Amino acid sequence: MVLVRVKALDRKTITQLLVVLIIFSLLPFVLGFNTYYIYLAAQVVLTAIMALAWNIIGGYAGQLDLAATAYLGIGGAISGLLLAFYKITPWIGMPLGALAAIGLAVMVGYPTFRFGIKEVWYALLTASLVVIIQRIFWLIYGSTEIYLPYFEWSWYYLRFGRYEPLYYMLVVMLVFVLWLNIVIKRSKLGYYLAAIREDELAAEALGIDVRRYKLYALMIYAGILGFVGGIYVSLTSIVTYRMFNPWLAIVIAVIGLVGGLGSITGVLTAAVILRSIEEYLRGTLGATIPGLYLLIYGLLIVLVGVLKPEGLGGLIESIRRRFRGGSYG
Amino acid sequence: MVNRILSVRNIVKRFGGLIAVNDVSFDVSEKEILGLIGPNGAGKTTLFNCITGVYKPERGKVFFMGEDITGLPPHKIAKKGIARTWQKIRPFRKISIVDTVTIGALLRYGDVDRAREEAESILEFIGIPKDRFHKLGSEITLIEHKLVDLARALATKPKLLLLDEVAAGLRPHEMLRLAKVLTRIRDELGITLIVVEHVMRFVMNISERIIVMHEGRKISEGRPEEVANDPKVIEAYLGTKLI
Repeated sequence: MVLVRVKALDRKTITQLLVVLIIFSLLPFVLGFNTYYIYLAAQVVLTAIMALAWNIIGGYAGQLDLAATAYLGIGGAISGLLLAFYKITPWIGMPLGALAAIGLAVMVGYPTFRFGIKEVWYALLTASLVVIIQRIFWLIYGSTEIYLPYFEWSWYYLRFGRYEPLYYMLVVMLVFVLWLNIVIKRSKLGYYLAAIREDELAAEALGIDVRRYKLYALMIYAGILGFVGGIYVSLTSIVTYRMFNPWLAIVIAVIGLVGGLGSITGVLTAAVILRSIEEYLRGTLGATIPGLYLLIYGLLIVLVGVLKPEGLGGLIESIRRRFRGGSYG
Repeated sequence: MVNRILSVRNIVKRFGGLIAVNDVSFDVSEKEILGLIGPNGAGKTTLFNCITGVYKPERGKVFFMGEDITGLPPHKIAKKGIARTWQKIRPFRKISIVDTVTIGALLRYGDVDRAREEAESILEFIGIPKDRFHKLGSEITLIEHKLVDLARALATKPKLLLLDEVAAGLRPHEMLRLAKVLTRIRDELGITLIVVEHVMRFVMNISERIIVMHEGRKISEGRPEEVANDPKVIEAYLGTKLI
């Protein structure tokens, strides 16, 4: 069965992807190749990738997953530890990390969806998954940080004395994940996931194998994060139990919600804006009012919940509809 | 000889101490319109849920085109060719009408564009005007919901269609239109229909044969006028006489 029929990309999509690619590629020039800013920009792009990966399980399939960093961490740990201990290139480590994350997704998703664990229970279950994996990692490797070997400029080991190469790798990943979001949305898989999000029982009665399609969504999400984990550890230069960060997993879900479930533009915009604000506040007011960005996240959730439950994407869509005179799409 | 499309044999479904469906058996012939009536709580919807796999019956068997489908999950039963509509509407609120029906059509057409063409022709057949196609599930009226529910079920290309109170809440002229659509579904598409209904006039007009359920049991079966004059049916609807 063809799940995602890859059609010749239409011109509009190519243009959109190119615009994103160009904007993010030019960003380092705007930032004057300042090491600190490039590092922050890489964090922003990483957040956008994670939020767009989350969009597939959270936005399209409607499952409030809070385990993004479990999958990111597994991928990062595998890629990073292989490099640190065995000098195995991340180009092998990253696909292995993706496979491990997919394996974890199946281990978690199969029984979860089999027993119909949904909504709040699914959220709690996935949130605890991050903590469980974190504790397992901690039991094995303890709390010491494992450093990756240093290379001034090595594409083979993905280690650099600067952040730009990793930043550009993340940008390429971002464009890929954006493309994947667009292709899935227009495919049979995307339509089926939307039906599942809206009403599982009605979807099931239309011949949709709800469990199987939810598992597909979870596997794609986990696979992306597992792969990106390798770039993430290279960016931070360490492998640590702190990668399995429950808070970041929640932030990713919040960005997905604020962006608007299933809205590609909304999620991308929310990721860039929220993460930038967070870093800005941390940089400027972090010393005087620590944790101010937490307050901002909290307020934003309340605001979106009350004013525009469809999120930023809904806002963009309604503006678009107004200008186009009611055409949808 | 008429072909049996569905055979229900001795179905029993309990909820705790309550026996919702108690030893019900019946057959449906191909291209028949069968009415299923009974007072509130008679077990009609539960019976539907047992046939479509939403519930597993405790006892009894369901055969569809000679094949035992008892206890299969709903999506497999849908794939075999049984579609249904819902008593309480279950709309896809954030999905447009045409996309909703496309989702149904994707069961038989893997290609989204092809499925969409199919969806558009079904919507036209059902009688939804083109300018409503792009309305979201949250933006349409009750009659439109009923019709979209019917359209997305039809889009799965069923051989047997179970309709759970499609006429409930409709105005008389809307009901008339719906009755016409249902007859056309049987005549032009060759689909067998089982119609659960509360609105007596509607179901009596459209059905060729009627089954009456009361407190989980089948109490009468026959042509509409036979059933209407059956003392057991009258008793079930009006209650027992006071002595």
